[in-house]
Amino acid sequence: MSRRLWTVAFLSVPLLAYTTIVIVPLFTSFYYSLTDWNGFSAQYHWVGLANFARIASDPLFANAIKNTAIWMAAAIVVPTAAGLALALMLHRGVRGAKFFKSLFYLPICLALAVVGQVWIWIYRPDWGLLDLILRNIGLSNVAIAWLADSTTALGAIILAWSWQQTGLAMVIFLAGLTAVSRELTEAAEIDGASYGQSLRRVVIPLLSPATVVVVALSILNSLKSFDAVYIMTKGGPFHSSDTLAMFMYDVSFESYYMGYGSAISVVLFLIAMVVITFYFRQVRALEHLHE
Amino acid sequence: MKKQGMWTIGMVGLVGALAMLLGACGQSANKSEVDVVHYFSDTLGKTTVTSIFDAFTKKTGIKVVDNTTGHEDFKTQILVMLAADNPPDAFSYWAGARVQFVVDSGRLQPIDDLYKKDNLDTLLPPAIAAGTVYNGHKYLIPFGYHYAALFYNSKTMQKLGITQPPKTWNDFLAMCDKIKAAGVVPLAVGSKNRWPAQFWFDYLLLRTAGPEYRARLMAGQAKYSDPEVVNVMKMWKVLWDKGYFVPNANAYDWTDAADQVANGKAAMTLMGTWITGYWNGNKLQPGTDYDFFPFPQIKDGVPNVALGPIDGWVMSKNAKHAAGALKLLSFLLDKGSQAPWAIGQGALAPNKTVDPSIYNSVMKKASEEVGASEAFNFNYDLATTPPMAEGGLTMFAEFMNNPSKSMNYLTETDKVEQTVFKK
Repeated sequence: MSRRLWTVAFLSVPLLAYTTIVIVPLFTSFYYSLTDWNGFSAQYHWVGLANFARIASDPLFANAIKNTAIWMAAAIVVPTAAGLALALMLHRGVRGAKFFKSLFYLPICLALAVVGQVWIWIYRPDWGLLDLILRNIGLSNVAIAWLADSTTALGAIILAWSWQQTGLAMVIFLAGLTAVSRELTEAAEIDGASYGQSLRRVVIPLLSPATVVVVALSILNSLKSFDAVYIMTKGGPFHSSDTLAMFMYDVSFESYYMGYGSAISVVLFLIAMVVITFYFRQVRALEHLHE
Repeated sequence: MKKQGMWTIGMVGLVGALAMLLGACGQSANKSEVDVVHYFSDTLGKTTVTSIFDAFTKKTGIKVVDNTTGHEDFKTQILVMLAADNPPDAFSYWAGARVQFVVDSGRLQPIDDLYKKDNLDTLLPPAIAAGTVYNGHKYLIPFGYHYAALFYNSKTMQKLGITQPPKTWNDFLAMCDKIKAAGVVPLAVGSKNRWPAQFWFDYLLLRTAGPEYRARLMAGQAKYSDPEVVNVMKMWKVLWDKGYFVPNANAYDWTDAADQVANGKAAMTLMGTWITGYWNGNKLQPGTDYDFFPFPQIKDGVPNVALGPIDGWVMSKNAKHAAGALKLLSFLLDKGSQAPWAIGQGALAPNKTVDPSIYNSVMKKASEEVGASEAFNFNYDLATTPPMAEGGLTMFAEFMNNPSKSMNYLTETDKVEQTVFKK
C-alpha cells in the first residue's frame, strides 16, 4: 500500500471524529441560532436574525461581553507577566530550580473545575485561607465573602484562573528563554547594559514567538473559561461574574432559550476566530523573520 | 515486518470500532426493561430509590436501568436526551410549571388511561391530585412532596424561653426581637444558589395578597411593580433592616444555613421538609433537636395556603418500553413504594392510604398542616415558567444582598416578564 494511502487511511479516523464532534455541531448551532427552539420541543420556528437583534439590545449580553473583555485583558497581562517573572528567575539555574519548575507547573495538571473548587474553599468568609490570613494580619475589614460580593466575584475567579494559567506561561517562556543565546545577553552586559535594559532590548524581543503563544493561549483559554465560573459562582452574584460562555449556558439550559443561546455561541465563535486569525498571522510573520 | 504490524493494528482497530458502533445500535426494545433517569442523586435518595426499583423488578421481572448522573446535571441531561429523541422511558420531574413546559413542548405521554385502569385518583388528596393535570390530561405520578415552614433549633428556643409559635406577624417580629436580644441571629438563609430565598417571597406574597393574585403573577398576568409585590419587598426589607438575617446570605448554601441553625448560631430557617432528611443524617433528633412552626398568618381573611414542591414521575412520548414504564409509574404511586421513599427522603407521601405512623413527630405535624391548609401551592421556581423563574430567583438573591435597591430589581424583573410572556 502506498504511503499516501496509509496517510489518508489513518487521517480519516480522527478527521471523521473531528467532523462529527466539532464541525457538525458547529453548523447545527448556526442553524439553531436562526430559530426560537427552546431545547426541549420537537417544534420550533424560523425567526431569521431576531436572536441577533435581541443580542444587540440585551443588557445582560452587554454585561457578559464586558466581563469577558475584562477577563481577556487580565489574561493578556497577569499570567504573562507572572509567567515571565518566574521563568526569568528559574531559568538561571538557581538551587532547586527543577523542584520549583515542577511546583509551579502542577496547577496546569489539575482540571479547572478542581482549581475552582479549591479556590471556593480559599475564598470562604468563615474558614477560608484568604480571610484567615487577612484577619491575622489585622486586615479584617477587607476579609469579605469574595465570591458572594458582586464587586469582587469576577476578580476572584480571574485570580484563581490566572494562578493556574501562570504555570503554563512559565513553561512556555522557559522554553523560549533557552533560545535566547547567552552570547547575546553577555554581549549586552559587556556593552554596559543594565539588567533592565538587557531585558527590555535583548531578551523580550527575542522572546516574541513565545510571548505570542502565551498571549494567544491565555486569550483563548479565557474565552473557554466556563468551568471556573460555573463551579465558583454560576455567573453570580446577579450576573456580575457572567462571561459569554457562562451566559450562553445559562440562557440555553436554565432559561431554555436554546435558539438565543446558539446565537450567543455564534458571536463567541466569531470572537475566537478573530483571535486565532491574528495569532496565526503573527506566527507566520515571525516564522518569516527567522527564515 | 513493519508493514504487516501496521496492517494488523489497522484491522484490529477497525473491527473494534465497528463492534462498538454495533453495540450502541443494539440497544433495541428489550421488553423486560425500563430506562429511567432521575434527580435523586444524594446518597440516601439514590439508595432508597434503587431499593424501590429492586422491589419492582422482584414483583414484575422487569429490570430498571437507571441512567442517572447527578442532581445538578439532571436538567441538562434530560434536555439533551429529549432533544436527541432518545428519551428515557420515565423520568422524575417537578410538578408545576416545569412539567407544563415539557408538556407544551410535546415530549410527554398522557397517562389518563393508567389512572383510570388502576383507579389511582382514589389514592390522592384533591390538593395533590390538582398537580397531576396539565392541559386537561393526567401526565404526572406524584412521588413525594415537601412543605416549607420555619424550622428551628428546639434547644435554642427552649433556652430563650420561647414556647409558643407566633400566630400573627407582630408576634413573629416580637419573637425575632427577643432572639436577637439574646445574641442569637433569628433567621438563617443560604441563598448562594438563589432558590432558598424564594420561600420568603412566596409566603409573604401568599399571606398578604393571597393565592389568586399570586397565580396571576406566576402566569405573567400581573406585574412585579404592582403594589402587592412592592409591599412584599417592603415587609421583607423590615426583617433585613432589623438585622434578623445572618449577614452574607449569598455566601452560604442551604446546608450551611441548616448547620447555622443546628449549631445555635441562628435560631430558624425557612426551608422545606427535606431539611429533616439532612438533619437526621447529621444525627439530630426530630422534636428534641429540631421542630417547625408554620409561616404565620399576616392578613385576616387570606386563605391559609401550604407551599412546597411535588416530586413526580412522567413518561416520555414514544417511550421504547411503554408497557413496562406504565407498570413502573403505577408501582411508584403504591403505598409500598411511597412509605420507604417518604422515610428515606424526609418527604411526605402523596398516597393518602400510607400509614401516618411511618412519620416521625415533625413529619406527622407537617402532614397535618398540609391537610389542614386550604390549598397547596408550588414554590416560585416551580410555579412560574423556567425563563421567568430565572429572573425572579436572581431578584431574590439581589435582594438578600442589598435590599435598598428593591425598586430597581422589580423594574428589571418586569422587563424579564415582558420578554418571557410576550409570546
